[in-house]
Amino acid sequence: MVLRKSGLAAAVLLACSPAAFSDDLNINGFVSVGASVLSNTDVHIGDYDDNASFSNDTIVGLQISKQVNDTTSATAQLVSRGTEDYNTEAAWAYITYAATEDLDVRFGRLRTPFFYYSDFLEVGYAYNWIRPSGEVYRLDTFSSINGVDFTQRFSTGSVDGSVQFYYGRFSDDFTPVDETYNIELRNFTGVVLNLTQGDFGARLSYHQADMYMPELGTKTGALDGLITAATGAGVGDKFVPDGETTSFYEAAVTYDNGDMFFIAEWTALNHETAIFNDDTGYMVSAAKRFDDTTIHLTYSNQSDELESGTVGLIQKNLEGKESSITLGARFDYDTSTAFKVEAQYQDEDTYLGAPGESGMLYSVAVDLVF
Amino acid sequence: MKLFKSISKIAIGLTLLIGSLVHAEVAVIVSASNANAALDQDTISRVFLGKTSNFPDGSQAIPVDQTEGSASREAFNDKVLGKSSSQLKAYWSRLIFTGKGTPPKESGSDAEVKDLVAKNPNLIGYVDASVVDGSVKVVFKF
Repeated sequence: MVLRKSGLAAAVLLACSPAAFSDDLNINGFVSVGASVLSNTDVHIGDYDDNASFSNDTIVGLQISKQVNDTTSATAQLVSRGTEDYNTEAAWAYITYAATEDLDVRFGRLRTPFFYYSDFLEVGYAYNWIRPSGEVYRLDTFSSINGVDFTQRFSTGSVDGSVQFYYGRFSDDFTPVDETYNIELRNFTGVVLNLTQGDFGARLSYHQADMYMPELGTKTGALDGLITAATGAGVGDKFVPDGETTSFYEAAVTYDNGDMFFIAEWTALNHETAIFNDDTGYMVSAAKRFDDTTIHLTYSNQSDELESGTVGLIQKNLEGKESSITLGARFDYDTSTAFKVEAQYQDEDTYLGAPGESGMLYSVAVDLVF
Repeated sequence: MKLFKSISKIAIGLTLLIGSLVHAEVAVIVSASNANAALDQDTISRVFLGKTSNFPDGSQAIPVDQTEGSASREAFNDKVLGKSSSQLKAYWSRLIFTGKGTPPKESGSDAEVKDLVAKNPNLIGYVDASVVDGSVKVVFKF
């Protein structure tokens, strides 16, 4: 999307009317408060269980941005999540340099642009669901990286678009199954193409990184067990991820005419190492607006893909396949507040290599922005 | 039955007449010194949604909004942008929290917007047609 640099606008406006536009320190915020309950604990959705939970969908964010001069601005977004005991962390903290009117360079801590909703993943007010589909939006640990990105905007005829390229590094704790390991992703890079024309939009992206998990095999978790089994079977080296490349592909199409909204998003994760299973995840969602009420329906599906032979047999221990159907409503009872209710039917075909169960997740939430 | 039909016809006619009287015309304006003549709805909508930052002649375009709740703003959002105020709020919240854009500055009422726009050829605003004078140029009307 071609979006004008607000800083430049503010500067030009300042020049002609100092009184009206003198404040260039912007403070914005968002709050989501939610409550959920799972019908039974035989299905696994995040940290939800069969007692009402009030912290899984609760998020508070505060963003401060300051235009330093005509071309440079600083932005910090502090987010406190119920899922992480309300510890506050910087989801974003970057300096933007407007190299030209259509080219932005950002340095700092950035949101990894894996998905259509990545940029505003935590701003519940910005979308209809209480949370995006877990089958597709599944790389939570890696949602922010430290690095640099370049965004070039362009317009041709009635098509507006942008190309974003980023490069960075990620290092943090990662809990893939039961045990926590340090993980490092080097040469973390990707490119995102965004196009809009009238009511239609499309997004294509590719991401890759070299993975390092030196602590694997030194603990007693499920993954350490896999390494022991693989070593015993003579394929141990296939399960050591260090230096192996992981690739992620994403494609989305959207339609929004104001009353009807549609999105389909497809993703695929491809690991050179066998320690994690390759998988694909996709969703299709439609929404219809009736004045201040929006009804939406979503189907999503995630499925692991195993390698052949001995490697695949070992991978099968952690295999997962699931799908879900979500029906929900959003009520905009004020221009900056939305009330949402949702019922999600979760069908786990396979969970950690064993046949899964099904269950319902019921949720309500209030989202607001200021 | 015939009588009923005529009465309803009259009623419909009256409603239409009153409707057109009540509906004040809103004009999209630029400074009289701005080189662009008429603009189409799509261009205006792209400027106000931050999708483009230029007038068709290539000069910089900066949109200014009226204060939330003003009659001209409601009409502009509805007729030109085709979005409700909560849809616009959701649209902008996607951009504000990613540093990708900020909504047009809220710049007061019809008279205040007209004065601002008159002074700066880069600005574009919308006002009730009744406040339009020689200092500004109407590029679109609805």
